[in-house]
Amino acid sequence: MCFKNLPIEFDAQGKAFLKEGAANPYSTATAGPPNTPKQLDPERIKELVKRNGHVKDLDFDPVTRVAGALAFHTVADIKERKVLEARSVATLFRGYEVIMIGRDPRDAIYITSRACGVCGGVHSTCSAHAIEMAIGCQPPPLGVLIRNLALSLEFLYDNPLHLHLLAGPDFSEAIVKGTNPGLIDRAKVTEARHTDVHGYRTMHDLMVDLNPLSGGLYLEALHMTRVAREAYVLICGKYPHPQTIVPGGMSSTITLTVMNEMYVRMSQFFDYAKKMAGIWDDLTDFFYEANPEYKKVGARRANMIDTGIFDNHELYDTTYKNCNTWGNGRWCTPGAIVDGKLVTTDLQTLNMGLEEFIEHSYYDAWTGNGQKQHFPTDPAGNPLSPHHPWNKVTKPKPGAQSWKEKYTWDTAPRWDHLAMEAGCYARLWNTAVARKMPDNPFIESTGHSLKIRLPRGKLPETQIEWHVPDVWNAFERNRARAYCIGWTAMIAMNTWMAAMERLKDGDTKTSTKFEIPKRGEQMGVGFWGAGRGYLTHHLVLDRGAVSNYQIVTPSTWNASPTDKWGQPGPYEEAVMNTPLLEESTDPKNFRGIDILRAIRSFDPCMPCTTHIQSEAGMITREVNTCACGLDD
Amino acid sequence: MKEGPAARTVIGGVGYRNLRDHSFGIVMSDELEPLADPPRLLIEDLCYGPVAVGQWLLDEAVNAPITRAVFVTAVAREDGRPPGTISAYRWDRVLPAEDEIHRAVTEAVTGVILLDNTLVVTQWMGALPEETIVVEVEPEAHAFGDSMSPAVAAVFPEAKRLVMQFATDEAAARALPVLPLGGEWTSTAVWRAVR
Repeated sequence: MCFKNLPIEFDAQGKAFLKEGAANPYSTATAGPPNTPKQLDPERIKELVKRNGHVKDLDFDPVTRVAGALAFHTVADIKERKVLEARSVATLFRGYEVIMIGRDPRDAIYITSRACGVCGGVHSTCSAHAIEMAIGCQPPPLGVLIRNLALSLEFLYDNPLHLHLLAGPDFSEAIVKGTNPGLIDRAKVTEARHTDVHGYRTMHDLMVDLNPLSGGLYLEALHMTRVAREAYVLICGKYPHPQTIVPGGMSSTITLTVMNEMYVRMSQFFDYAKKMAGIWDDLTDFFYEANPEYKKVGARRANMIDTGIFDNHELYDTTYKNCNTWGNGRWCTPGAIVDGKLVTTDLQTLNMGLEEFIEHSYYDAWTGNGQKQHFPTDPAGNPLSPHHPWNKVTKPKPGAQSWKEKYTWDTAPRWDHLAMEAGCYARLWNTAVARKMPDNPFIESTGHSLKIRLPRGKLPETQIEWHVPDVWNAFERNRARAYCIGWTAMIAMNTWMAAMERLKDGDTKTSTKFEIPKRGEQMGVGFWGAGRGYLTHHLVLDRGAVSNYQIVTPSTWNASPTDKWGQPGPYEEAVMNTPLLEESTDPKNFRGIDILRAIRSFDPCMPCTTHIQSEAGMITREVNTCACGLDD
Repeated sequence: MKEGPAARTVIGGVGYRNLRDHSFGIVMSDELEPLADPPRLLIEDLCYGPVAVGQWLLDEAVNAPITRAVFVTAVAREDGRPPGTISAYRWDRVLPAEDEIHRAVTEAVTGVILLDNTLVVTQWMGALPEETIVVEVEPEAHAFGDSMSPAVAAVFPEAKRLVMQFATDEAAARALPVLPLGGEWTSTAVWRAVR
């Protein structure tokens, strides 16, 4: 039984039903999920700050080197080197849910793409999936394959960007010499283990090349983003907002020339992937060996969720009825992991366990006051919560910031009442354990690891193997992300080969005609994924127009606030578990590097979590002044 | 004084589409595009990200260096200049501190497209031509839509004329003051002095 907290059971045929006898099965007036961490009461924290000089506010506003506007409030005991309170603050309202109401659903592909300046294509695709399900329009196999290729290329832009432009500098010589000079001394005499792959003799050499602006790895990542982007625009026309993703497939014209041009660029990632895995293995080992306490930086329970991505072109039929089948046939297996154990890979089960809460978010409740739940079940008859996105109504309610009341524009998505984490590593973990990925010559899921065979480039053919880790923390997130580059490259290679086979057979059809129904109500959901993990778009159509549109992104999960039960969101929990290992004892020089490593390891992307549409217009960039003291 | 044969100029619009006044630059490059005369005069939509813009400029320079770039955009400086004010200047190409450059690169690769980070990132990449001219307008309307506010729409034709003048007339370009980002606007609009 995969649900431990929601009152959902399954009969012998696997059909879900609500437990009998529960008067209000989705009531949140319960004790909450057991054995979960809890935030301390804000009043207690205030007292501690007042009584102890060594207990201090540490605020990061904005958190730099993340996409978009994120602020983070912590209270730390400097003497004990630990964090007592952590609050993740999304400082802007996203508003796409409001913008989409009443529009033609086709607009969603282009409008929701703007939710992100890095990965617009994933939103376009997710939107196309939701529309396809709602209107019953199945893309042809080549359309599915080309979509897979486009999005894998987007991830090959995204993951190197995060590792060496955003997170990487946290481990660079330039930063570490200021926070932990002892580590620099050690790095100078520590030989790197994967010199043969990445070329760095010592860890110090490697860390120097991670330096922002001047480091070789920083500059190389900028170059690799170009390679991926060039390949992407061959089929999507434009980056980051594609012009060729349509309901029913892709509008691109695919020729052998396009495929060859794409291959030339895609293949540059084979060697790069070997190097990235070696670099992040070496960095992780170096920090663990220097101080095993680093295993606690960003640590949290391995509770993760992912919708899977990259459809099997022979299985994807767009229907909700069959989504468990086509979901399990994906190159990246969907799944929920609870305390390190995979509990389901079925998309319907993932969907029915999803709820969004707003106790600490700047929104008004849409449930209660006698309001009727619009969809008590999903299209397959499975029970749905009133807090489910298909039932949600976005009601923004700006107000003062208070840790006791409301403090963020992010909602608190929960699965089976648990704070789940999203990331490319969640799909890596699911796929490694589930052993459901299609047979292929390059990737093998072993049940405890994922083996990736990377073809020969300048470096020889190499097999890299990602193992399910014993601990889950900031270092493992980054290491897994590095392995995702090789994994994604080889999914792209498999997809490219399948597309070439179809072209050889004369199949050039990439899309299916469709019509938007002008009568009745239809519902659909896009189960897709971003470079950062989980992504869903829930859509309801009423007489041809959008009557509800709800987006849950990876950072909606990760940046989520504490919920009604006191259970912190993933960033918050990871920071609360982070020891302060920075060597500086002078508060003036304290940079909070361990906290920042913990947060950045999630690859925060706040634009897709929050944008703003106010009466004054849309704000595309804003630097906020700290409001962290406003918790009265 | 008209340009010599070796001069190579790019006019680039910077901004977002469908964002009313903030689409000023991109509407400008769209409208001027028929006047492009490559390789001497390139007219480009430079809204595809500062890093990519830098890479494009470097690629273009491989065979024949671009000698002048004219960036056109709307920027809310909110320093007192009224909406619709045009400021034109030669950027002094002075980079900010490393932290700020790093922030500009971070914003660039995560989707922020603004004049300031475009100039900072492309200058840091060594991609900007020696003569970098900015023609910027103070916007008023910041919302979805394809119509500009009356104040900004009213100055669009004049801005268009100035952009072409600075792109093709060396004397006019050289007469512009060399200033930091924003052009140190004063109540005497710089472009009036230029004209």
